[in-house]
Amino acid sequence: MIIKDVVCPFCGCLCDDLDVEVDGQKIIKVQNGCTLAEATLTGNNRLPAPIRRTANGWEEISYDDAIRETADILCAADRPLLYGWSSTHGEAQSIGVHIAELIGAVIDNTSVVCHGPSILAIQEVGHPGCTLGQVKNRADVIVYWGCNPTEAHPRHMSRYTTFATGFFVPEAQKDRTVIVVDTRRTESAEIADEFIRIERGGDYEVLSALRAIVRGKGSILPREIAGVAREQLFRVAEICMKAKFGAIFFGLGLTMSNGKYKNVRNAIELTDELNRHTKFTISPLRGHGNVYGSNEVFTWITGYPYAVDFARGIAFYNPGETTAVDILRWGECDAALIVASDPGAHFPHAAAAHLAKIPTILIDPHRTATTPLCRLQIPCTMAGIDAEGTAYRMDGVPIRYKKLIESLYPDDADLLRRIHDRIREVQGA
Amino acid sequence: MTELLVKNACVIDPLNRILMEVMDIPVRDGRIVESVSAGADIIDAKGCLTLPGGIDSHSHVCGTKVNFGRYMSPEDMRAGRTARRGKMHVTSGYYVPTTYGNSYRYSAMGYTTVLEGAMAPLEARHTHEEFTATPHQDMLANTLFDGNWAIMEAVRAKDVKKAAAIVAWTLSAVKGYSIKLTNPGGTEAWGWGEDVSSIHDAVPNFNVTPAEIITTMIEANELLHLPHSVHLHCNNLGKPGNYRTTLETFDLVPDTNNGRQTLYATHVQFHAYGGTTWRDISSKAEEIARAVNAKPQIVMDMGQIMFGRTMTMTADGPMEFNLYCLHHNKWSNHDVELETGSGIIPVLYSKKSLVNCVMWAIGLELALLTKNPFQCLLETDNPNGAPFVKYPEIIGLLMSKRYRDEECATLVDGTEQRTAICALDREMDWNEIAIMTRAGQAKALGIAAEGKGHFSKGAEADIAIYPIRCRDVDPATEYRKVIEAFRKTMYTIKRGRVVAREGDIIVEGANSTFWVNPVVPDDLNVANDPEFVKKFEEYYTVRMGNYPVQDVYLPRGKCIRTKAAL
Amino acid sequence: MRVILETKERKKPFLPIEAETIIPSNFLKGPELTVYEGNKERLLSDLFTIVVEGTAVSPDKVEVVLKGDTARIKRVGEYMATGTIRIQGDIGMHCGNFMSGGVIEIGGNADAWLGREMLGGSIICHGNAGHYCASGYRGEKHGMRGGRVEVMGNAGDFCSEYLTGGEVHIHGNCGDMAGVEMKGGQLIIEGDATRPCGNMKDGMCMIFGTVHRILPTFEKIDTKKLPDRNVTVTVYKGDVANRGKGTLMIQKPHNEGDQHPANTLPGPATT
Repeated sequence: MIIKDVVCPFCGCLCDDLDVEVDGQKIIKVQNGCTLAEATLTGNNRLPAPIRRTANGWEEISYDDAIRETADILCAADRPLLYGWSSTHGEAQSIGVHIAELIGAVIDNTSVVCHGPSILAIQEVGHPGCTLGQVKNRADVIVYWGCNPTEAHPRHMSRYTTFATGFFVPEAQKDRTVIVVDTRRTESAEIADEFIRIERGGDYEVLSALRAIVRGKGSILPREIAGVAREQLFRVAEICMKAKFGAIFFGLGLTMSNGKYKNVRNAIELTDELNRHTKFTISPLRGHGNVYGSNEVFTWITGYPYAVDFARGIAFYNPGETTAVDILRWGECDAALIVASDPGAHFPHAAAAHLAKIPTILIDPHRTATTPLCRLQIPCTMAGIDAEGTAYRMDGVPIRYKKLIESLYPDDADLLRRIHDRIREVQGA
Repeated sequence: MTELLVKNACVIDPLNRILMEVMDIPVRDGRIVESVSAGADIIDAKGCLTLPGGIDSHSHVCGTKVNFGRYMSPEDMRAGRTARRGKMHVTSGYYVPTTYGNSYRYSAMGYTTVLEGAMAPLEARHTHEEFTATPHQDMLANTLFDGNWAIMEAVRAKDVKKAAAIVAWTLSAVKGYSIKLTNPGGTEAWGWGEDVSSIHDAVPNFNVTPAEIITTMIEANELLHLPHSVHLHCNNLGKPGNYRTTLETFDLVPDTNNGRQTLYATHVQFHAYGGTTWRDISSKAEEIARAVNAKPQIVMDMGQIMFGRTMTMTADGPMEFNLYCLHHNKWSNHDVELETGSGIIPVLYSKKSLVNCVMWAIGLELALLTKNPFQCLLETDNPNGAPFVKYPEIIGLLMSKRYRDEECATLVDGTEQRTAICALDREMDWNEIAIMTRAGQAKALGIAAEGKGHFSKGAEADIAIYPIRCRDVDPATEYRKVIEAFRKTMYTIKRGRVVAREGDIIVEGANSTFWVNPVVPDDLNVANDPEFVKKFEEYYTVRMGNYPVQDVYLPRGKCIRTKAAL
Repeated sequence: MRVILETKERKKPFLPIEAETIIPSNFLKGPELTVYEGNKERLLSDLFTIVVEGTAVSPDKVEVVLKGDTARIKRVGEYMATGTIRIQGDIGMHCGNFMSGGVIEIGGNADAWLGREMLGGSIICHGNAGHYCASGYRGEKHGMRGGRVEVMGNAGDFCSEYLTGGEVHIHGNCGDMAGVEMKGGQLIIEGDATRPCGNMKDGMCMIFGTVHRILPTFEKIDTKKLPDRNVTVTVYKGDVANRGKGTLMIQKPHNEGDQHPANTLPGPATT
């Protein structure tokens, strides 16, 4: 059977035009998707049943036992952490937040290791953005700053930007000017009309210089800024100001380099400034499939997109203090539930090492780098493969994941609901 | 079967012409009935003011733009934080509260139905998700068509049937309730950083004018027999001298519907400015009210501002950018492909600002100068003019000349010269307030037939009992008591169940979402039109098959089917 | 009156304690206060040995002394308006948030957000201060608006971010981006700094150590002799990426090819 218009759950592009051939409980073939999509959809590394660590290695246990133990661990904790959420659907995320409320936990999502700084910047200066179709149909200038979509978001250029045909941009490559800014010459840089190579950690200075040029104050700039010739910046500013519609996309090269959120803020303020001359937008290239969804769900329930601390009943937010990495690194946390993410692979060593010291439970379909850090792992469905649900694309467009095959596993939303209900029972008693 | 008897209620029910009659209200299974058995639960209203549940006919509480307002405002989230307690979830925020914050505060004020003012069809799923997390109000979604490419092409082709068919398909696909036009044409122009400055400007590349979009959509709306009229945010919002645009727009509106208005003009305060710059801005509320008094086909809402910090958020992207250039505060913008735009910036309305004082006066003038309260409803365009928790103060201002005078005395010099507020003696009565906060909304939205906004037999048992005895209080002098009473009900009852008691929410709640499915003949259904489908697949970034909102997002959806006259 | 709070041994010493109740005025009615340890509300006496010496009729006469393992105690002195708090050792995050009057003296190091959104009064820290010393809150337009913060050691990154009023004096070095988004007030750094005052709108910053990587959008306009210190400083206006009304005075500009110094200060990751 071939299922049309399938949504790929891998990255924040959430391409929804895949054709997937399934045979019973197996995905046989993926069409239209990139290699990452194919690997995601056809991969098979599922954990067969819940497992518990014992002195002699792992033992399989029942779902009932696993749920009971999870609830007990969380109820007993003084500083529990609920972390992850980016590879599942909104329905599970929402129950996760309600569990956090119940037990006075810190709840955080994978933004902490990707676009958390972008969120902090947006909270300072806002975000002039748009949906991706607006870029596809209008943009004649595209800027990729500190990101390499060719590798990380392989279809971003063909679906939305450089190679996409849009209503007002009928001949994509001819009609669009592409600017790539990075500290190294990436694959994406190869197709750029203009490549700006910045010294490591110099993004802030270059963005400040561009803002000054757009404000007509370029004359005070030195000859070279973070390794970039002033003349090139004048040229690029000119291209941007003459654009009919410009779109900046940025990635971890900007958010995770020296200055972090101030870099992003500077890029946003450059965009604001350009809007006094023409139309310009800026958008983070979000990584995990539904990480933006976790920001949205957290926000409408708690008021904050990530790093929410319910220790005192009310919701408190202060990244750097209430972020998962920080409460682990500081050794505050005394129990953790990890859902749909792999901190074992993405966290700094000190933070990951602390997970191994405390009772950590993982709800995830696969054996991952986090599995060895856990006391308990409970396998579940994988949103977008054997479970349906809501996901938010990197530009905020909500899309419904399809269920492609029948599952042998419980949906993580159901698991979480059972944990939630069990916690209420324990608390009531 | 559950039964409830509300005894000794001092009822005002304008749609049934009941004015301060002390009576019992029998309720069975969520509906008002003739009588109940002796075993019914009893609530004693003790002669206090009892109204149909409040209805907000224009408020921004759910969806992409609202949530982005929250997302970018951790500083606001620090205000109004409450911990989880009983059945109540954690809440945060003052002017852009969390969904539960909105829901609990509305419920405490006796509101049981809210229309979200602007939903972009492409992002409708988000709005519906938040509707579900706003559990104590029934919800409806204004659906944005102001910059819709397919609509503009139909307008250009002067094909009103096509326009109607596109509306029909879209509303049923995204589970929307009504047609919203926000700065029609302007949001498309904003795709290029431009705007339209009159209703006769051509929209870039589309060769249609706002006036043509408005008139075509009004006609399409009536062909589809939609329960609500076109809901319009006029062009040129917030610009000195814009009252001319507003009057010109009103002149476009035919009187073609016997049951209700043919145009709902929203937050008209923002559209009633005289002068040419911020320096010489003045009130043109009299001109606007005169036009509305002469045109029964128009209903407006006040768009009242109240002093303090709040957040402006609208689909009107270019307006928000102008506001950003004035305030230099943080600015967010979110254009939605082929459909609309949006913008968000925080503002502070200050009594030290003459412009803000004039704005404050205009909203009140509009209400006081409009003869028929069914034609001017009480709203703040929440949170644009003020968060909705300010409604009780606005009620106080409308009912008491003395309160207005006291407030006017604290405003900056010049307010009196630029507006007529000080000269207006009218003091609204209880019945008029009931009209402006529920009966008028029910009629304007076309949900009276769904049992909203009145206590007829068979109506939904949405009941608000306020701790005040109308006959014992003189609102003109005791306006403080009035304000306190409207802040917190004794009981808010929704669908026959007590939801809030003295401000505390006591049940989990489960709301309904009303949506419209206009039935269109097959040959006009755009889903069968290869040209429409082809363009959709080429220019949207979401497949047409993935666009419609699945039923699962409306666990208690209430579909209103209409039969289109096409 | 003097209230001495000495920490007791805790089963989980790494749990943060949220102790905004520890302000002088609260002790006038006695020490029956509560704090949060992780997600549990505790009596102050569960966590501290409390000794009260003397009496006081008004809060300005109350002195609170904190002893022992105090590095994880957060929010001490939050919203305090008068009186004195002395901390013998290190103190946790958010010490002196929103403080409007009185004195806080810290014998050891202070963790991040020392004196955040402070309005008045004074804080003196004898050790180092973490990141965001004398800064603002996420998304808020104004940072510290009044009062005085003095740090005898070093300060971390983003020192005096959003500084709007008052004075901040760092005797040691600052990390990256001190004075970023400054819009008023005065920041004095005796030691080194990197990329100071980005996006500065107004206010004044003086740096007497070596400044690494002065931003390209600061315009050198003058040199000036400071008679009280007997040094000559270069005066910059900036940041012209923004309105550029701020003043930055630097004794030792050093821009050529230097690297960002490794930051070894305590404090959270600047996520």
